[in-house]
Amino acid sequence: MGEKSRITFDDRTPRNFMIASIFWGIIGMMIGLLASSQLSWWQANGKFLEFVTFGKINTDGLDLITFGRLRPLHTNAVIFAFVGNMMFSGIYYSTQRLCKCRTASSLLSFLHFWGWQGIIVGAVLTLPIGLSQSKEYAELIWPLDIAVVIVWVIFAINFFWTLARRNEKSLYVAIWFYIATIITIAMLYIVNNLQIPTSLTHSYPIFGGLQDALVQWWYGHNAVAFFLTTPILGIMYYFLPKAANRPVYSYRLSIIHFWSLVFIYIWAGPHHLLNTALPQWLQILGMLFSLMLWAPSWGGMLNGLLTLRGAWNKLRTDPVIKFFAAGITFYGMATFEGPLLSIRAVNQLSHYTDWGIGHVHSGALGWNGLMAAGMFYWMAPRLWATKLWSVAWANMHFWVSLVGILLYVGAMWTAGIMQGLMLGQVNESGTGLTYEFVETLQAIQLPYILRGIGGLLYLIGFILCAINIGMTAAKGKMTDVSIETYLLKPTEKDTESIRSLIFHRAVVYTGILIALIALWFFTPFSMAATLLVAIGMVGILVLFEFKWNGKSWAKFHDNLLENYIPFTILVLVAVAIGGMIQIIPSVVVNRHVNIEGRLQELYTPLELEGRDIYVSEGCYNCHSQMIRTLVPDVMRYGRPGVADDYSHLGESIYDFPFQWGSKRTGPDLAREGGEPVDDTKHVRIGKRDNLWHMKHFLNPREMSPGSNMPAYPWFFEKKTDFKSLAKKISVQRQLGVPYPAMTAHEIEQHAREQAMAIAQTVMKDAYLEDRPDLSGEAMRNHLSEVQFTAIVAYLQKLGAYTEQNPDKRPHPLDPDGNLSKFEP
Amino acid sequence: MNEEEKDTYRRGEFARKGEVILREHEYDGIQEFDQKLPNWWLFTFYGAIVFFFGMWFVYYTLGLVQSDQERITKAVSAVNEKKSAALADTLSNLTDSVLVHEWATDESKVKAGEAIYLQVCIACHGPNMDAPTKLALSLVDQEWKYGNAPLDIFKLINNGTPPESKGMEPSGARMMPFGQSFSPEEIASITAFIISKNKEDFKDY
Repeated sequence: MGEKSRITFDDRTPRNFMIASIFWGIIGMMIGLLASSQLSWWQANGKFLEFVTFGKINTDGLDLITFGRLRPLHTNAVIFAFVGNMMFSGIYYSTQRLCKCRTASSLLSFLHFWGWQGIIVGAVLTLPIGLSQSKEYAELIWPLDIAVVIVWVIFAINFFWTLARRNEKSLYVAIWFYIATIITIAMLYIVNNLQIPTSLTHSYPIFGGLQDALVQWWYGHNAVAFFLTTPILGIMYYFLPKAANRPVYSYRLSIIHFWSLVFIYIWAGPHHLLNTALPQWLQILGMLFSLMLWAPSWGGMLNGLLTLRGAWNKLRTDPVIKFFAAGITFYGMATFEGPLLSIRAVNQLSHYTDWGIGHVHSGALGWNGLMAAGMFYWMAPRLWATKLWSVAWANMHFWVSLVGILLYVGAMWTAGIMQGLMLGQVNESGTGLTYEFVETLQAIQLPYILRGIGGLLYLIGFILCAINIGMTAAKGKMTDVSIETYLLKPTEKDTESIRSLIFHRAVVYTGILIALIALWFFTPFSMAATLLVAIGMVGILVLFEFKWNGKSWAKFHDNLLENYIPFTILVLVAVAIGGMIQIIPSVVVNRHVNIEGRLQELYTPLELEGRDIYVSEGCYNCHSQMIRTLVPDVMRYGRPGVADDYSHLGESIYDFPFQWGSKRTGPDLAREGGEPVDDTKHVRIGKRDNLWHMKHFLNPREMSPGSNMPAYPWFFEKKTDFKSLAKKISVQRQLGVPYPAMTAHEIEQHAREQAMAIAQTVMKDAYLEDRPDLSGEAMRNHLSEVQFTAIVAYLQKLGAYTEQNPDKRPHPLDPDGNLSKFEP
Repeated sequence: MNEEEKDTYRRGEFARKGEVILREHEYDGIQEFDQKLPNWWLFTFYGAIVFFFGMWFVYYTLGLVQSDQERITKAVSAVNEKKSAALADTLSNLTDSVLVHEWATDESKVKAGEAIYLQVCIACHGPNMDAPTKLALSLVDQEWKYGNAPLDIFKLINNGTPPESKGMEPSGARMMPFGQSFSPEEIASITAFIISKNKEDFKDY
């Protein structure tokens, strides 16, 4: 044991992060409230500004605050700004205490804090102006992605450097979860954001169609797992026993549920794509792993709730314990609901409806939000060396939030189940569907309003929290806590060699078992039986080994906890396996074979530009492009008389990024488009004609009474960016889209011609309220220049494909260009 | 917990059967029990793992689960057959004359048709059926571009604009096949509603 020394913690960093979390949390929730009101009242998309400014702003919709742009801002704000800052606050606070040393570098902490706030400001500036990648919770454009990676690396260096300097030999369970968070988020974020820029603000992801869907939901699901779950579990493991002053319920449960959670979670991504074109083996794998995830998740809940044994009396007096107990209960509820929703049969009903929204909010509001509040109320008095300003206000916050959550979640269950049932209802004769889409939307208006009230209550709760913390800070004094501790010499920690730990028998046996099981996934019948026997035999061997040498295994794990590098390596291995087994086959298997007989037609330059507008406006937030392999889906969205008109894999093969969507507030658009009109090169008419779309974009309710879609008047003002197309198409070619060779001039010319041809079809009957001067040719010329023609070109192309023999390959990349469909 | 309570637990690493021990190590004052895992929890976990092996064996190894593609194609084919049968059935009892003299004079049927018109057709054909938006053809101008027999109207609504037609000039607009979303009965009631608004045009049938 080294000498004793006094250590002062860096408590400024957790304090700053805490303030930032509350600040951004309130902003993020306000945005959510506005977005939710937009689903009930279309005027909330901008028309309301007319009333509040007494007509000074005259608009049917303001692009900056339409639902499609606000919803990504809301999700990013609450995930990365609210929970992100909260998690950093808790991690910086607890890691120093668990390691008995000050954070390694105050400079890095400073850069981490301000870098992260800078990224959030970047998101606030870019998402509302329509700069978005459209990948959910990864919408930020590529320069911001790079900033996120840099800041994350700064965080990681600071964290692991602190671990290296620790004065505590062994790592506490909270630290395990922090390690898993840092490693896994880095892996997920980088892979899902691999992209090729076409300009400073725009890029295409390197994966398209199925691959993009798979990678995105591997990321999306595990952002929930490793950004919203594991760090909060770590925080629970530190703050709950502190607040309750009780020992953690079970150390061995910590071990089992930690390793099983990080290993299994990563496999569950495909459950976001059930009953879609995703290959069935991936769907089943995603479902089965989601079911296996139930127990590991509940392990965390049990370890939390059972730690409260002997401290339940504090529930009456201590708001911190109230928040923690309720938060952990919501965690248990959400992690039971998750596996339930992952069952393919249940998912038929729940997917694309508000049930998913309810589910995620029982996690976000119930688990993340309540745990955050509990932690803030515990930390604030300690960070400002005083008592909490008002326990009564904290109690009030608790009850207001709880009522808010229950109202929210209950309303979303009702809305989701009701809409799901209505959409699937077949009429008496069994030949048609009972309800139009818009009728199902109108039926859930009451739950939508109740949801808004629930959200409002929750927001009020957090405003109470902000005042309470603010008053606490005002009456206290910023304090950096210091402790006396023995310093550990470098020779006293991390003593085992990396090799001896990561190749320990316990690891090797588990590795062999997992390798055999992974092999078994893909083997045909003849070999599968042999492998099963082998798995059984190895399994029994492992059991015996554990029975006889259990103590050496336990010793191994204790050793592992005293050596952070091998521990981190093993975590990385555990979280990498699932993604590799699920994603690599779909990336390396020849994409050209995997098209199910239908090959998507290439987008013309104008259609591609229209698609980029669709992505930028966030249309995917309400419209899917995926007819699932379900009877009501095919009946509603498929073409009459075509029995296999579900979405085939090849139909979105050239979609960078994919647009399958995750929620239908409006109808599916997979087959919105149609065939080219005779005698024209460029004009297609789909389910609805161009004039219909024009009127619909100007006033959706004129064409579709009862719709809550925002109006898009700026489609008729903003110019189409023809100039950027050459670069975009060259990047698409790099990605393997077989575009013919065209010069920049030809590309622009082609796009302008097509825009003109589309404008021609509507010029006679078109009328723009803001431009009464336009008619005839002037109208045509105007329309050909604005975004409307581009987005319509895209919509009318949706679902266009050519039939392919299963053995016939699509056009190879042909530099001389021989695509007749494409010739100007 | 207080010191007194602490002393009631053995400190150490390996619990004997039925024993709860408190682990030796403390982290920033946090202690850990080392309790046996609850049985019901273990069984949930084991159960899910066993189910995983069983389900994968049945699905992948034995190939006993029908593919989604096969299943959906069969199911939708069955619906389509049912639809064709229902259409044939309706058409077998439906003649031009029946449409004009029985359907278009039956108030409940006309009302049912009107209800659908007001909900769906109105978007393009307008509240007065004169298509002021130019999205569709007028239904009150005595012109029946795709055939002026009552059954032609029925078929037009059911099948949409015929594929050989160029649609509206110059937009190329075409009507959707509403047989996709409505039953033959409903299509007939829409037809009846249109006839009832154009009695003169159809009085000869």
